[in-house]
Amino acid sequence: MLDWLDAFLISGFFGVLQIIGLGLLVHLQMGLSRVANFGVAGFWGLGLYVFGVLYIKVDWPFGDPFQFLICAFLATVASGLAGLLVAWLIADLDVDGALVGTLGFATVVLILATTQTELTGGATGLGGMRFPYDLGPAKTNEFVWVLITTVLVGAILLYVRWVHRSPYGRLLIAVGTNEPLARSLGKSTTRAKLTLFATTSALMGLLGAMQGVMFRFLNPATITINITLAALAGLILGGITRVWGAVVGVLFTVGLFDIVIQFYAPLPQEWFTQAIPVAREAVFGAALVLVLLFRPKGLLGEMKRPQLMRRIHDFN
Amino acid sequence: MTSTEHGRSEIRIRGAKKSFSGRVVVDVDDLVLGDAAVEGLLGPNGAGKTTLMRMIMHSIPLDEGTVTLHKADGSTITLSELPAHQMMSHGVVKSTQVISDFDQLTILDSMLLAVAGSRHESPLRWSAEKELAAEYEDEIRHYLDYFGFTDPNAIAGSAGEKKLLDIVRCLLLKPEVLLLDEPTAGLPEDVTQNVMSVIRDLGEQGTSVVIVEHDLDVIWQLCDEVTFMAEGRVLMKSDPETIRGDSTVVEKYLGAGHG
Ligand SMILES: Nc1ncnc2c1ncn2[C@@H]1O[C@H](COP(=O)(O)OP(=O)(O)OP(=O)(O)O)[C@@H](O)[C@H]1O
Ligand SMILES: [Mg+2]
Repeated sequence: MLDWLDAFLISGFFGVLQIIGLGLLVHLQMGLSRVANFGVAGFWGLGLYVFGVLYIKVDWPFGDPFQFLICAFLATVASGLAGLLVAWLIADLDVDGALVGTLGFATVVLILATTQTELTGGATGLGGMRFPYDLGPAKTNEFVWVLITTVLVGAILLYVRWVHRSPYGRLLIAVGTNEPLARSLGKSTTRAKLTLFATTSALMGLLGAMQGVMFRFLNPATITINITLAALAGLILGGITRVWGAVVGVLFTVGLFDIVIQFYAPLPQEWFTQAIPVAREAVFGAALVLVLLFRPKGLLGEMKRPQLMRRIHDFN
Repeated sequence: MTSTEHGRSEIRIRGAKKSFSGRVVVDVDDLVLGDAAVEGLLGPNGAGKTTLMRMIMHSIPLDEGTVTLHKADGSTITLSELPAHQMMSHGVVKSTQVISDFDQLTILDSMLLAVAGSRHESPLRWSAEKELAAEYEDEIRHYLDYFGFTDPNAIAGSAGEKKLLDIVRCLLLKPEVLLLDEPTAGLPEDVTQNVMSVIRDLGEQGTSVVIVEHDLDVIWQLCDEVTFMAEGRVLMKSDPETIRGDSTVVEKYLGAGHG
């Protein structure tokens, strides 16, 4: 079974799923509420590390799947609380302030992961996580984990779609487009931002925990700004204000490179270690520049409230 | 504190000062707004009318002084100590002089945003949109009809449409004190008439309406009381006839031959 599946293909696909999930959440923050977040890797990485450290270092009185569930839950809560704290710090700042605040947070997480060697294994990393089930060969376990993650990211997509159709999403758009006017209508725009960051950061933390299980290893090199940039580039390319923006954009960038080119393009093997990773970043950058020049709202274009409202209400 | 004599909420401004880059723009000693059903706030350009209204809403901070709300039931709230978003929950609502809209939201969106409470706006309340629309459908349809919005699912286009939408959002908030900053500027004549009749009805139903307006017909037709401001100060507060005939008002604002 699964002989057709290459192990690298599985992890390539898992990576695409992760970035889509993060892109969808950033869409709520930056596409709807226009609160800049350059610290995506921090919220995600915090989830990954809290999960990993709790799973490996704590002597749990019960085994899997409960050990996984409780650790993933705590990772989610930790990232949610971090989101709340960061949002509280940046709520009244402009884009530059938000940029520095979120980026600073991600840097702190990375530094802690690297320096708290006792706890995290530092730069050499830390192993010892397991799948919360055992179905036999590693490849089968991984494949099933990819399916579970697909369900999670699908649920995030459905949630984002729901947000667009709810009073909550309307409030987020109002906060993003005219905050003083929203306040004069009685909206606590600060509370809206705190709620938004708490929920979306929590889900970023959960995605981080999923990552931990997949690779069963904590390594600070995975929680760098590259994650943030991949999610942002994909989202902006696809359309930052659109539900499907992150999905389309990430498929066109990370998906195209890490799956299609790596596995299906007839390129000489030695390119993959040297040329491809560099070309990947260069092409992402170039694609982003082209899209911003010729299609500044992204491939999917503008938010389309009139069409959406016509579909969900019958006021005429 | 006893209840207000007229059964409406009123706003009292005391020792309120505001300067921009060292220049005093508002300096109001003691002023009560809202002791008549519809009150006008008149004054030449730059008199500080908009700034005073923004100080009441606490959307800009005061340098000195206090703004208090005296509710019909006798309770008193110090508005100048509260954040801007809490004015609405105390029934104090303002429309803006400069056109202001949410550039992605449709007309219907704007109206639903205005009526939604925090219970609807939870990030996890699945059926909130349906509940909200059902609860306010009649009211929203009424305003859509009354003001002749052609397509509620469009984004407000013209300046007039945005201005009107701003007023409708305020009306949907069921204000006890409604501050209108040049509500009819740029509206077509028939819509202006509709807006004026809504204002008159609101006043009769117990809302205290305060209007800033350069269209003097609107002021003379609607207002029971007029406050006259110039250079940041309140120079007079009286009935419309007295204001029209006053020599200072004529000299500083109305000009000869006006009135
Ligand atoms: N944010 C600001 N920064 C600097 N100066 C300001 C600011 N807001 C208002 N002013 C100045 O304060 C003075 C009063 O302005 P305000 O808008 O309150 O007048 P107004 O009575 O509403 O006039 P108009 O009838 O033209 O609307 C003006 O000289 C204006 O230039
Ligand atoms: Mg003004």
